[in-house]
Amino acid sequence: MAAIPRTLGAIVTAPLTWIARAIDPPLRWWQRLTGLNGMAAVFLLPNLAIFGVFVLFPLVLNVVYSMTAGTNILLGDRSFVGLDQYQRLLTCEDYTQAITCREDMFWTAAGNTFFFVVLQVSMMILVSTITALILNRNIRGRGFFRAVFFFPVLLSPVVVGLIWRWILQRQGLLNLIMVNLGMEPEVWLNDRAYAFTATIGVSVWAHMGFYTLILLAGLQAIPKDLYEAAEMDGTPPARVFWRITLPLLGPNLAVVLVLALIRGVQIFDEVYVLTGGGPGTSTLYLTQYIYEVGFASILRNPGLAAAASILMGLVLVVLTLVQLGLSRRNEQRGSRQ
Amino acid sequence: MGRIALNDIRKSFGKTEVIHGVDLAVEDGELVVFVGPSGCGKSTLLRLIAGLDRPTSGTIEIDGADVTRHSAANRGLAMVFQSYALYPHMTVRQNLSFGLENTKMERAEIRRRIEDSARMLEIEELLDRRPTQLSGGQRQRVAIGRAIVREPSAFLLDEPLSNLDAELRVTMRAELAQLHERLGTTMIYVTHDQIEAMTLADRIVVLRKGRIEQVDTPLNLYNRPANLFVAGFIGAPNMNFFETTASDGRAELPGGLHIDVPQDGKITAGIRPQHLRLANREEEALEGTVTLVEALGAETVVHARALDGTAMVTVLSGQPNLGIGDAIRIALDRGEVHLFDAEGQRIDPS
Ligand SMILES: Nc1ncnc2c1ncn2[C@@H]1O[C@H](COP(=O)(O)OP(=O)(O)OP(=O)(O)O)[C@@H](O)[C@H]1O
Ligand SMILES: [Mg+2]
Repeated sequence: MAAIPRTLGAIVTAPLTWIARAIDPPLRWWQRLTGLNGMAAVFLLPNLAIFGVFVLFPLVLNVVYSMTAGTNILLGDRSFVGLDQYQRLLTCEDYTQAITCREDMFWTAAGNTFFFVVLQVSMMILVSTITALILNRNIRGRGFFRAVFFFPVLLSPVVVGLIWRWILQRQGLLNLIMVNLGMEPEVWLNDRAYAFTATIGVSVWAHMGFYTLILLAGLQAIPKDLYEAAEMDGTPPARVFWRITLPLLGPNLAVVLVLALIRGVQIFDEVYVLTGGGPGTSTLYLTQYIYEVGFASILRNPGLAAAASILMGLVLVVLTLVQLGLSRRNEQRGSRQ
Repeated sequence: MGRIALNDIRKSFGKTEVIHGVDLAVEDGELVVFVGPSGCGKSTLLRLIAGLDRPTSGTIEIDGADVTRHSAANRGLAMVFQSYALYPHMTVRQNLSFGLENTKMERAEIRRRIEDSARMLEIEELLDRRPTQLSGGQRQRVAIGRAIVREPSAFLLDEPLSNLDAELRVTMRAELAQLHERLGTTMIYVTHDQIEAMTLADRIVVLRKGRIEQVDTPLNLYNRPANLFVAGFIGAPNMNFFETTASDGRAELPGGLHIDVPQDGKITAGIRPQHLRLANREEEALEGTVTLVEALGAETVVHARALDGTAMVTVLSGQPNLGIGDAIRIALDRGEVHLFDAEGQRIDPS
């Protein structure tokens, strides 16, 4: 007989208890049959199912698509072409000149993405490190500033793009201010250099809060008395930074570096809203290229898009492996202490 | 040289004052221990001396020079932190040399100092390891080594042994005493541990709520505590206190035992548990009931409650046959009674 539930908590948990009792016998039976490893499989199964349906299956599908050609969407209507799509992507007469490639847009996008990632990630690390160092000091209103810098992270990328387009467009806020200050307005988003810089600046603005938080956590994990020991020895501030702060922040910096790299390679939404890849192709990055080739252009080519996304995926896999390796090393270092 | 003088030092954090005017003179080569309950300001005082914090008022002198406004680095002191504060990413050798490299010291001299101190502390084999690869005791040695290589005029140690297990603590305590003997350098040592204080100190500073209660040699503190607080703080188990009112030069303790006192009025009599013993049949005695017996082998700690409810503790030698609930008659040596007036200050027998 079940006891009469007396408290609200008991009432709420009662159904769960019943479920637990109901599934207990079959689980016991399964454990007797397969041992502990079998049990692990049972508990992993729901998550694996979701992973399988939404990640693994599309991934396999993508590989299959990358070996087919045509404009049809349904796989049955498509013809198998082997590695032709990859060959098409990777064929160039002169690999230093995107224009000589068969898929010059792919190479343009890849080149843009490369320069974007190098510059954006450097900026990101510099800016978020400096911000974290400042926020780590005992300044007035620290909590407020921490929130301010983190706020953009909470915005959806489309909103970020819209906000900055509203600021930077020809009749935008920035030009309004400049005109009122007696300066000539600029066509920020229609100038190649300005637009490229804007995509870097905006994405740094949008994501730095996240990295700042990681670095701030790292800074706060450095024991205060290390700094006091250094102070007793009269260590100059610069030496404290280079010899104590930076090495001890190293693991966090490595995580930030790899995460920023991965997200930099994937850049799409805010840039697509902000510049649409323009002017011309000056802010066309890989994800947008894939999107346009696969879905948006009149002569869509899903096979080519799939192949391009596999190539980009390979780069991300390498970066992710690096990241996993780093975090494993950190864990080991942590457990040794 | 390492004479350190504190003159009317006060320290506030925000609006709350935590050090209320401390005067203290530490002689060159002396080992002075700060003791006191948690939060009494021991660490704060040490940090003020170190220069890691600035006093709100008052001055600090080292060898006669006012260093109140000097930075920590310019005071020529070295600190050993409770957490050791070793740089985790540097080897032991780098930990030892890091501070010296800030000065314009020659490489050869740095080497010599590191080798000397490593030999003294027996950490020569550890020089190329990192702190994470050391045991607690070894880390402690490195932390001390880092202070030694600077050849400071005084060492400041904030509970340096508190992270070690009991056995290691005893060993390191002895080594610290030897080290002090050998270097002859002034040391200021903060601890919670009475035994550390009693065994290491040339003089003990008893602090309470940001004030000095008494400064004296360990045995003087034990034999002639200046007030109720010190009497209760020094010595284990704690001193027994009996509150009573004296008239005509006599005071009565629970159970009808009488003692002579030099002044009338409210009085507290304090007797160390070690100075209480079982009474003979014909003696005047404190009478009570046993509430707890802690047999330690060589001696037995007996807790009892006097007839008026006052708790008392006595340490009896050997293993007396006593159990909870037994009636007990306790006698005392009148020469060992400490008397304190209504303000808690010591009354010396006239
Ligand atoms: N940075 C600070 N800000 C505010 N109050 C502080 C600060 N440092 C210490 N205090 C206060 O000053 C008082 C003395 O602290 P201190 O650390 O010196 O005590 P302590 O004697 O070393 O104690 P413990 O034995 O626990 O180490 C405490 O009441 C503490 O709360
Ligand atoms: Mg302390």
